Amino acid sequence: MSAETKAAPTKTPRPQEPGKARATIGAIVLVLLVIGGGYFSNADWSKFPDVFTEGWRYFYLMLKGIVQNPFSEPYSEYWTQAFNGMLESISMAWIGTMIGAAISIPMGFLAARNVSHPVVVQVTRVFLNIIRTLPELVFAIILLLPIFGFGPNAGALALGIGAVGTLGKLTAEALEGIDPGPVEAARAAGAPGSAILRWTYWSQVLPEVLAFWLYRFEINIRASAILGVIGAGGIGSVLSQAFRYREWDFIGILLLVIIVVTVIVDSISGAVRHRIIAGTAIKDKDIDTQPVGL
Amino acid sequence: MTVASAAPAPARPRKPAPSRVLIGGLVAVAAITAWAAWEIDFELTSLFENFSNGWVVVEQFLHPNWSYLGNAGTAWMETISIAIVASFFGVAVGLVFAYMASQVTNRSTKLYRVTKWFLSVLRSLPDIAYVLIFVALVGVGSLAGILALFIFNIGIAAKLTAETIDAVEPGPLEAADASGSGTFARARWAVQPQILPNFLSYALYIFELNIRSSVVIGYAGGGGIGQLIQVQFARFNYENVSAIVISMFVVVLIIDQVSQYLRRRLV
Amino acid sequence: MIELKDVTVRYPNGVVGLDNVSLTIPDGQFVVVVGLSGAGKSTLIRTINGLVPVTEGSLVVDGVEVAGASNRKLRDVRSSIGMIFQSFNLVKRTSVMNNVMMGQMHGIPAYRSLFGAWTAEEKEIAFQSLERVGIVEKAWTRASQLSGGQQQRVAIARALAQDPKVMLADEPVASLDPPTAQMVMKDLQRINRDLSITTLVNLHFLDLARQFGDRVIGMRAGKVVFDGTGAEADDSVFEDIYGRSLTADDVLPGKA
Ligand SMILES: Nc1ncnc2c1ncn2[C@@H]1O[C@H](COP(=O)(O)OP(=O)(O)OP(=O)(O)O)[C@@H](O)[C@H]1O
Ligand SMILES: [Mg+2]
Repeated sequence: MSAETKAAPTKTPRPQEPGKARATIGAIVLVLLVIGGGYFSNADWSKFPDVFTEGWRYFYLMLKGIVQNPFSEPYSEYWTQAFNGMLESISMAWIGTMIGAAISIPMGFLAARNVSHPVVVQVTRVFLNIIRTLPELVFAIILLLPIFGFGPNAGALALGIGAVGTLGKLTAEALEGIDPGPVEAARAAGAPGSAILRWTYWSQVLPEVLAFWLYRFEINIRASAILGVIGAGGIGSVLSQAFRYREWDFIGILLLVIIVVTVIVDSISGAVRHRIIAGTAIKDKDIDTQPVGL
Repeated sequence: MTVASAAPAPARPRKPAPSRVLIGGLVAVAAITAWAAWEIDFELTSLFENFSNGWVVVEQFLHPNWSYLGNAGTAWMETISIAIVASFFGVAVGLVFAYMASQVTNRSTKLYRVTKWFLSVLRSLPDIAYVLIFVALVGVGSLAGILALFIFNIGIAAKLTAETIDAVEPGPLEAADASGSGTFARARWAVQPQILPNFLSYALYIFELNIRSSVVIGYAGGGGIGQLIQVQFARFNYENVSAIVISMFVVVLIIDQVSQYLRRRLV
Repeated sequence: MIELKDVTVRYPNGVVGLDNVSLTIPDGQFVVVVGLSGAGKSTLIRTINGLVPVTEGSLVVDGVEVAGASNRKLRDVRSSIGMIFQSFNLVKRTSVMNNVMMGQMHGIPAYRSLFGAWTAEEKEIAFQSLERVGIVEKAWTRASQLSGGQQQRVAIARALAQDPKVMLADEPVASLDPPTAQMVMKDLQRINRDLSITTLVNLHFLDLARQFGDRVIGMRAGKVVFDGTGAEADDSVFEDIYGRSLTADDVLPGKA
């Protein structure tokens, strides 16, 4: 037996290590892309060290702003503006989410293959995709200036339209994923279409869709800051003003308020989401990792 | 008494009262909505009153100035370059953070907590805040855009990847432990092969995201196509803006297709 | 030599996995552990290489005290103990070679292992291990493309690459068909004889236990209830260990 074993090694030749040509070429292409990107981006790399030299100085100034007595002038004013701005941003995000959610419900039904006619599905999907591709900023540009003027009202509408794209798509996907059994049962009982949509389709997707809405709300809080920079109000407007005048102590306070409030709202919203979908078949991760863009 | 117990028909159960959580939730939602609407002076009447103002703009949008696209070539090159560099370094650093943000690969609970906390702070700031910061540090231009997206990408890449690491098959980890492997070898050879397809897919997703953010980035001074939009918008050249927006649509569509193809090849 | 003295293992949830077990396993012995599901077979094996901490008692493997050892010390101990699992535990998305390398990872510095820069010597050890289980031709194949029996042999090669003093196997053939199970058991036996590696195998099937065990240990409820040679372990002994009469499920079906 052992003689056999000792003979065995010489029998089977060792295979050649496979070539690494593909991996090597891939790596080279990637490196070239990155180097090319560094060059063609026209970035002024000589300024790069400033990140560290200037960074520390500004960071120190920001910290100094934060630790000042918040009841002394002008810091009390800074804190008040920061909190008011943040509240306005959150309101904008909330109303935007509500508008987006309301419009996305019919859109979702229209875009679901197991609900609507194929032509309707296609048309709706194209429409939703267009909205999804365009950043909120573009809607803001179209809606903001001419119709509503600068302000959070326009911002909320822009966020709402922006949300329709992703929410509509996710709702449609949720509808397509339902258990068809109850639908069949309702049909067999002669239920009218409206009742079927409400009590078989909608009932099944409600927790999932609610969770998507909340998730979108979290995203909209960040997006509202972006709109603020072009004049839609909220913390974004305050922040860009502060940066314009390089008021680093004020900037420090603003960033701190954004971070703390966002983390708090995120964790509340996250906890509610977990609670809503607890006990359903949906996994938390399915929603948390939805590629909708943070 | 005897009659009641003899009759077999049990009492019909009363409809249960709606749960307090549900009622509380609905009231809270209504209250928040009312308050938020008041806070931002929400109204829709302008839509009807000023609709003509809007229509003028929309009309200009419907007549894009195609000839302007000649100027957009360099800006697009810039935007795509920014996205490539920022995604590459962002996901690379994000991967390291992901390993530290999962208890599967990080044996130190303290370091794990600190990393989680740091990442949630990183993700709480929107990309525009990072652009503003880096514009202040290194001046207007692509470098600010690259640095801003780089930091922003770390947060997303780390979060998505850490969740994937949490879900790896535990068997190979057990085998690695049983052979006495160190922390690094375990992460590199028992975990990384398992998460690689997902990780690459996240990298592509982040690249797409960066292209979509380009408008915002440029608007705040981070270079690329957004800067062009900002300038044309400020001059009310909506025909030009429209042409750029349409080109953006096409670019995003192409990149979508390319990355879908790559995804199929990689996974 | 493996020496357990009054070893008790209590899991955090209060379940007692091992109840005051004392055993001495001399070098080079081939030991089969049998017992009903939940008897503590896996716990015994996992305790020996420190994957499960000892609550009370002393456990010495190859002269090193495992009970209460530091993480670093445990890693050292584990590197000289090969382990084989019922579900193979290979990394499916990488090559057989890289999987076998896992066995040597203990001695490879991080800066090399991170980049997969194996030395010729390390590759030689991996090849020899694969040759010993007769699967060298699959060295560069992805582990996901192997059959169950092949995967288990790669897992054995991975353990062999550790150059172990002790080999532990937790139901290594439970997910394999009968002929493949025989082959894998023979591989283990041959390795035990050729390299005189002390071997501990958990088994479900009585006939395999009798056929391969120099020594058979029976467990019930965390205690050792039988300890003897394979020949001594007749049906009545097994009925005693199992606390019930034997059924057709207890033997490997379709054995030649
Ligand atoms: N990680 C753990 N935590 C708590 N209890 C455990 C754990 N692992 C095992 N146990 C318990 O310890 C006891 C012994 O389990 P063990 O896995 O050692 O049994 P086994 O003999 O290997 O059974 P099987 O044949 O099913 O593999 C069982 O009661 C089990 O429920
Ligand atoms: Mg077991």
